[in-house]
Order: sequence, then C-alpha cells, then structure tokens
Amino acid sequence: MLDGIISHQELLRRIDALRVERRLIGPVARVEPECMPPVRYFYQPVERADELALDFTYCVQSPKAVLLPPAEPLLRFDRESGKFRAGPVIDHTPTALIGVHPCDVHAIELLDAVFSNGNADGHYLARRRSLFIVAVDCPEPCTEGVFCRDMETHETDRGFDVILYRLDADRRYGVVFASDAGRAWLNPSLSSGGMRTPNSDDERTFIRYRQNKERAFEPRLPMPRRELPEMMARSYDSLLWEATAQRCYSCGSCNLACPTCYCFDIRDENELNGGGCRLREWDACMARDFALVAGGHNFRAKPGQRLRHRLYRKAAWIEAQTGLHGCVGCARCDRACTAKISIVEMLGQLAEEVQHAGTRP
Amino acid sequence: MIPVFDTSCPVAGRSGEPVGAKLAAGTRPRIAIFSLTGCEGCSLAILELENELLDVLGAVDIVNFREGMSERDWNIDIGFVDGAVSTPHDEAQLRRLRECCKTLVAIGSCACLGGVNTLKNAQPQNEYRGYVYGEAARHFPTADARPLSAFVPIDHELPGCPLVREEFLRFVKCLLGGRPFRLPSYPVCVECKRRGNLCSYERGQICLGPLTRGGCDAICPSYGRACDGCRGVVSNEALKAFGRNMRTQYDVSLSDVLERLRLFGAFQESALP
Ligand code: SF4
Ligand code: SF4
Ligand code: SF4
Ligand code: SF4
Repeated sequence: MLDGIISHQELLRRIDALRVERRLIGPVARVEPECMPPVRYFYQPVERADELALDFTYCVQSPKAVLLPPAEPLLRFDRESGKFRAGPVIDHTPTALIGVHPCDVHAIELLDAVFSNGNADGHYLARRRSLFIVAVDCPEPCTEGVFCRDMETHETDRGFDVILYRLDADRRYGVVFASDAGRAWLNPSLSSGGMRTPNSDDERTFIRYRQNKERAFEPRLPMPRRELPEMMARSYDSLLWEATAQRCYSCGSCNLACPTCYCFDIRDENELNGGGCRLREWDACMARDFALVAGGHNFRAKPGQRLRHRLYRKAAWIEAQTGLHGCVGCARCDRACTAKISIVEMLGQLAEEVQHAGTRP
Repeated sequence: MIPVFDTSCPVAGRSGEPVGAKLAAGTRPRIAIFSLTGCEGCSLAILELENELLDVLGAVDIVNFREGMSERDWNIDIGFVDGAVSTPHDEAQLRRLRECCKTLVAIGSCACLGGVNTLKNAQPQNEYRGYVYGEAARHFPTADARPLSAFVPIDHELPGCPLVREEFLRFVKCLLGGRPFRLPSYPVCVECKRRGNLCSYERGQICLGPLTRGGCDAICPSYGRACDGCRGVVSNEALKAFGRNMRTQYDVSLSDVLERLRLFGAFQESALP
C-alpha cells in the first residue's frame, strides 16, 4: 500500500526545502569515458535537488562514509599552560541522505545495531540521529552480478524515513513513510506542494511495478539465504580458501567497499606542542596486520585464513550475532577486487563442494 | 632496501624502537640532510613544507643542508639522505655519513629502492656512460645504482618519489616525541578506497596500487593516474599474486609486469610465480 504519490517536480521542490535545515548528500552522475557504461554515480554533497541523479543505478561507494567517515577525530587533546585537557569530537550536522537503495538501507540497519548494542558509540549515534534518509527502490537489478534478491535485501519496509518507488517513465513516484519526520516532510497540506493520495490507477500501477520487479531479479546463489550458515559450517576445511587466496593482495578493497564492514583502527596524531587528536580510520580484516597483536603474533597471518574469516563473517557470523544481514548482496566487493575474486562465485563453489560431500556414501 | 615481510612483523623502521632513542635527553637534535645521486627533489619537498618547517626548525638544529644553507658541521644526530648510490664517490660519501650520523634515514625512492636510477642497471655500462658523459666518460667512474641499505645499515626508510611530506612530518614528530614510527603495512588501495576514488582498473588501466606500500594517500589514482609503485612492494605475497593475476586474469606477460615494476626499482629480489 502506498501512502502517497508525488511528481518529480514536487519531489525536487521538497528536497530543496530540506536544504534549508540540512546538508544534502545524494547520488551524482559523473561521466567516465573509459568505463562501460561511461557513467558512474557517487554520493556527494549537493546544493540543489536537480544535481541529484535519482534514477541512478548504484553508487560506487556505499553511503557508509556518511555515517562512519573513512577517518574521523574521536577526541582532541592539548597541553596548554602545562595542563592536559581532552574532549570528544561529536558531529551533529543535520544531514539528508537522498537516494539509498534497499541493500544499503539494510546495511545501515546493521551499522545501527553494531554501534548501539553493548558499548554504544556516541560518535556514530550522533550522526545517525541527525540523519534523514530517503530511500529509492530498485525496479530491476542495478547492474550485473548483484545478488540482493538471494540475500532478501532487494526490498525493505523499514530503516528509512521515506521510500520512493519510480512507478513509470513520467517519473511519478509512489511514496511510503516509515517515520513521522518523513510524513511531515511530504505532508499534502503544505502550501509549497506535496504529495497527493493514491487513486486506484496508482495502486494498479504499483502492483504491476512489484510483479515486474519480482521477475527482473534472478537468483544467483545455488541455495536460499537461510541455508548459508549451515553450508559455511561445513566449509571450514575447504581447499578453496588457500587456492583462491593465492591471487589475493590482502589489499582490503573488498572490506572498504562493503557497506556492512564496520571495522576500524584507532591511532593518535601528536603535534609538536603536545596537543593532537585521536583518529579512527576504516580498517580491513583482509589486510595483513589486522589480527596482529602485542608481541608480534598474528592470529590470521595467512591470506587464506583471512579470506575464510571474511566469508564466515558475511555469510554466517554477523547474522548469528545481530540477527541482521552480514552481507546485503550488493557485489561491491566483487567489483572492487582487482584480483577478480568473487564472493558470489566462492559461495557457489562452496555449495557445490558441500553437495558433493553430501552425496558421497 | 625496505624489508619485505612474509611474516607478520609490522615494523618498517628496522628496529621498531622509538625513533629518538639515540638522542640524549633534553637536547635539541642536530639534523642534517644530504643528497647522493638523484634529483634532490626530496630535499626540496622538505623545504616546501614552509609553515610546518618553521615549527620543526624551532625544535631542532639544522647543521648541514646542501639545498638550504652553506655552513657545515659533522656531529650529527639524525642524517637524512636522498638519492641512490650510483658512483664510487657516492659510496664513500655514504660510508662517511654512516659514521657521522647517530641515526641514518633514507628518504625517497632512490635512497630506499634505487629509484629511477636503477633503469641504467639493465643497460651496458659503456653505452650509458657514453651518452651521459660523452668524451669525458673515462673521468667519471660509475656503477650499478643501488639503495643505501645495500652498503650500510639504515635505521629508517621513507620511500616515495618524491618523499611524502606528511609522512616526513609524522616521522619528525615521532622522532621529537620519542615515539615509534611505522610505515603502513597495507597497500595503496586502502587509502584509495578511503578517498572514495573510482578504481583505475574500472577505467581499464593496470594499477600497481594493490602491491605498493601505502602512505602516499593514493595521490596518483586520486588524480586519475594508475600507481607506478614508487613506494616499493608491500609484501612478497602481493607481488606473487600480481604475477598470477596479470597472467590468468588480465593476459599480461611477466616481462610487461617486470617492466612496470622496474621504473622505481620497486621490483625486489623476490621470485614471481
Ligand atoms: S544490489 Fe539490489 S538493492 Fe542494491 S542497488 Fe543493486 S538492485 Fe538495488
Ligand atoms: S560482502 Fe560484498 S556483496 Fe556482501 S554486502 Fe559486502 S560488498 Fe556487498
Ligand atoms: S579486494 Fe580482492 S585482492 Fe583485495 S583483499 Fe579483497 S579479495 Fe583480496
Ligand atoms: S586505483 Fe589502484 S590503488 Fe586505487 S583501488 Fe584501484 S588498484 Fe588500488
């Protein structure tokens, strides 16, 4: 059921209205003549709604950086007049993130859980509470190789303020709310224009949209998502890990591109005057020294061990810990890997191995 | 040459001890900067630090700096050396510096890896001496270009062509604060991804970022140019993976791979598969 219908023009006007109180971040198209197709989309701050490409396929980097910056100061310290002082750095900048696809909405839900459970992370949560999210549904796979449907993340009904469905070429959007803030934003009584209530034609179009969507997404994994943890449990000693890791650079690109990877490293930057700041930076479990501890012991020193660890996290462990998706099937890791190591292919190969083992007497 | 670790040791400064360990407590360190064979661009990059340089100058005494001053002094706490050893004269200079400097730091790709100077190593000596020195060639003895560490023990290495100013500053701050300094143990891709770049491979370029030591903040890919490996190979594993991937995934031959790696002398004596 739709909550409303809004035209493209009205939508842009309402987004511009958001700009009054919030900074806007959303997908911007960039011409890349050497790429196929020759355009790529990136999340970027914009001043006006018409700079946004709301019909974007996928953004090269996930929106993770908006909530968890690649590098951020957690606290600053100084030593003025001989006294040591330190204070936290908290960022409350009101922000609207426009254009988040369902997979990334699921990923943000996971980050929310990770940074609020147990030791709540004030830095993340301040940013999250200041964030207004407008999701945009995908009528078809954004590009080859995604497996969001297998991971059941190609749709979503929560984790955003508003979700938009691009119903047809006239750029008529179906609207569904998940928060009061979202409802207030597109309130039909607004004098500047807002949405209207859906009529029976709109509802029929929405049903057709969903039927087409169901057909457009082909399964890419050989098994349903719920069987992945069981398959992983039987794959610990697979030869695949070492064999595949022969080509792995331990570069961490797969982690850093992933919307659900949240690991970070913390280090201090010191100035000559005794002041400085404590920095948090994205880290990667595929990097060689990720699991290096005091005394020089590395408990995942081999690339194959790290690859196995990463896939276990994505396909089993994160879900076991949080009940949420450890992997949302966006295939950014596959696209980021210059060694062409593919999580989809590996999961497929493991499934085959496990099936073979199962049929043996 | 920067040690390539197959084990998990993260310490790129040879000892891992705090940089300033050899300094007497409470004294202003006496610093000197020297150049062997190279373009001296690394020394210039230090001068370009301008504002930050003034802070540093307030905390140290510069006693010997060919690009910056003329007064000379040979009792040195920390000596920075750029350029490769490419002549017998370079070698003699370097050995003398090792004796004068309590801590010796190689700066730039030439000093750490041999750098572009090593391109001559693959050519016959009489040929390159002929076109460099012409008639006078016999007055200029020369040898294969090698990194400093091929001759004397080096305490720290700050690679890059030219050296990374921010890294140099961080090193000096560690030095003055008596804290340990480490080069990144991850490749350029980490910084490239943190900067949100579009990967060179998506543009159909072959980038050496995945096997090159990070720390440059991925400056080349950020300006649309694939990495050429000026900071050296980050690990033997990555080097081997590169050889395998070029052959099996990109159909690039081993000789082409080596050609790319040779530009800055990044190719180290490790075996490709
Ligand atoms: S991976 Fe699926 S949900 Fe995510 S953007 Fe692509 S099609 Fe949409
Ligand atoms: S593991 Fe890969 S496919 Fe899964 S969420 Fe991360 S980047 Fe996307
Ligand atoms: S992106 Fe590819 S090469 Fe790099 S760490 Fe991940 S799997 Fe290995
Ligand atoms: S452009 Fe080069 S350094 Fe950057 S991610 Fe791609 S391979 Fe790595």
